[in-house]
Amino acid sequence: MTKGEDRRAYPALLGALLVAMPVLLGIAYAAAGAVGVTGIATTGFNFTRIVRVLAERAVWRSVAWSIWVAGAATVISVGAAGCSTFLFAGRTVVDRAARALAIVPLAVPYVVAGALGLLILGQSGFLARLLHEWGWITTPRNMPVLVNDRYGIGVILTLAWKEFPFLALIGFSLLATRGPALEETARTLGASRRATLLRVTWPLLWRGLLPAATAVFIFSMGNYEVVALLAPSDPLPLPMLTLERYNALELASRGDAYVLTLVGLLMGLIAVGVHEWTRQHSEVFNQ
Amino acid sequence: MRPAFAVILALTSVFSACRRAPAPSIAELDSVPWDSVVVRAHGTTVTWLMWRGDPSINRYVDDWVAPRLKHQYDITLNPVDAQGPSILNYLSVERQAGSGAGTADLVWINGETFYNLKTSGLLAGPWSGRLPNARYVDSSSTIISRDFGQAPAGYESPWGTVQFALIYDTVATPHPPRTVADLKTWIRAHPGRFTYDQSFTGVTFMKVLMYALDGGVEHFQGPFDESRYREGSARVWQWLTDVRPYLWRHGQTYPDGVADLHRLFANGEIAFTMSDNQNDVVTKVRQGILPPTARPLLLRDGTIANAHYLGIAWNAPNPAGAMVVANFLLSPAAQLEKQKPDVWADGTVLAMSRLPAVWAARFNALVADPHALPRDSLMKYARPEVAPEYSERLERDWRVRVREAPEH
Repeated sequence: MTKGEDRRAYPALLGALLVAMPVLLGIAYAAAGAVGVTGIATTGFNFTRIVRVLAERAVWRSVAWSIWVAGAATVISVGAAGCSTFLFAGRTVVDRAARALAIVPLAVPYVVAGALGLLILGQSGFLARLLHEWGWITTPRNMPVLVNDRYGIGVILTLAWKEFPFLALIGFSLLATRGPALEETARTLGASRRATLLRVTWPLLWRGLLPAATAVFIFSMGNYEVVALLAPSDPLPLPMLTLERYNALELASRGDAYVLTLVGLLMGLIAVGVHEWTRQHSEVFNQ
Repeated sequence: MRPAFAVILALTSVFSACRRAPAPSIAELDSVPWDSVVVRAHGTTVTWLMWRGDPSINRYVDDWVAPRLKHQYDITLNPVDAQGPSILNYLSVERQAGSGAGTADLVWINGETFYNLKTSGLLAGPWSGRLPNARYVDSSSTIISRDFGQAPAGYESPWGTVQFALIYDTVATPHPPRTVADLKTWIRAHPGRFTYDQSFTGVTFMKVLMYALDGGVEHFQGPFDESRYREGSARVWQWLTDVRPYLWRHGQTYPDGVADLHRLFANGEIAFTMSDNQNDVVTKVRQGILPPTARPLLLRDGTIANAHYLGIAWNAPNPAGAMVVANFLLSPAAQLEKQKPDVWADGTVLAMSRLPAVWAARFNALVADPHALPRDSLMKYARPEVAPEYSERLERDWRVRVREAPEH
């Protein structure tokens, strides 16, 4: 890069810094709060709060639950997006209509998705009433527990439904921009339809979807609106536990939220690290 | 101009524009006549941090209070959604930011929030004794004159009173339990039909249990006592653990707040909901949220009554406006409107004996809603709040002792 190009890059760098600044300041503030030097209920510099919070069983159950739910929602949404991409990659009217319909949930706000999950999957919800009407269950109350349940079934289904169109959109774009040339070549060389799908289309699609899947996982871990409506109170999802501590009646507990914020951030960084490692080491990418 | 310099200049301009002229402090206002306070409030905006979760309350504030403040005092009311804990966070962050004048004037608070705000120096005062309408306040009532056992000391002005009540459906549960002991029996006989929320109302329910199971409210009067708390809370944890397998979802999960509890009740999933306001059932039935056959229920062991108040933020940019609004909300007209069953049904803090006869007659003429509890029953079973530390500890310890405890 020349000196002139260097100079022209400064405004862009400054812009990027301004965009990143609130996040960086937030992390610095949370870190300072975690060691007791700022924020609510300051204690003076020490690691007591960090040690105490990290020693809590409830915190690690919360982390494990959030990882499970985000992981399951991500796997389901990636699987569904991949299938949709393969099935509706053509140029027929049906394919186009399916692609258009698949991205409809993208426009639904998360809080509305959570409310829909509650209205459909709840024990007094639409599904329970429908199954009761059909005689599959004796009363709506006999409906299997799908919301506020310990396994997070309602949260997983709702998040998967909400994240699926984002991933499908990326999948459709990937195939559309790349074109059918590689598949056609494979078929010409004698590859079966199945082999073409597994050896050509899927690896290319996976490469493009992986960053988006990582983003979906991190976002699902930090989502508040859906878990606030559909998650159980024990284990409490990490975002809810963080907010619960931040709003605790007891002032001393509020500082715990800074530590939990850093824990959430660490989980996100680990996910990014896993993504980078996978990108560099996976056989798929070395092909 | 270099781009970096332009950005810095723009930011400096924005921050400079945010600086304001210093507002007169509460102490300065204390030395001027009330009429001068009203003059200073004229043409200003009052930002009010308040809970905005109830359409009835919002309608009262937006459609009745705000237009009258504009008309009578040329004050523009700006209600902003914030609850007790978030108000404390809001004002704490402003103080850490080190700015002179803040952004909030009036705050709607009580109990632990008042305690935490006052001990953290985040409230301005004393000022409430200056309000002309303070002469009508029922200061002989311990429910009003003590906020969770603490003296308001002029740092907050009472606004309304409420009393905890269970809510049940007279058709679904024609013979509801009337005592804490009966409630336990009922829960065990009706698995999955009862629960409580893990928020503010749930804490009040636990305090009702604590009073009933450990010698009444008298046992907990005075400053927070660790040994009394341990003894009382141990009985509460035992009671809650005993009924846990029979609760909604076997006590594996609890509704997040009272709105969730109301929803479960309205859907028929549970037989009882609860509220810190005994008249909540009145407004919720009118809104169609609860069934018409819903009624409030006071447990004979006694239920907690408390008052809610208005405070002024330590860094309020418009304390004169905040005082005028607080005085207006204390006026007989505003209190009467607030108490109407079709408005909010919130209890007044005014003493009928201190009001001009014409206003007392108007209060007495308020037609009682068939869903409301009679006044003598409310008074008979009303129990005051105790030191705020009891609520704080119950909230924290419940999470470990009950919510996160392994099931047996």
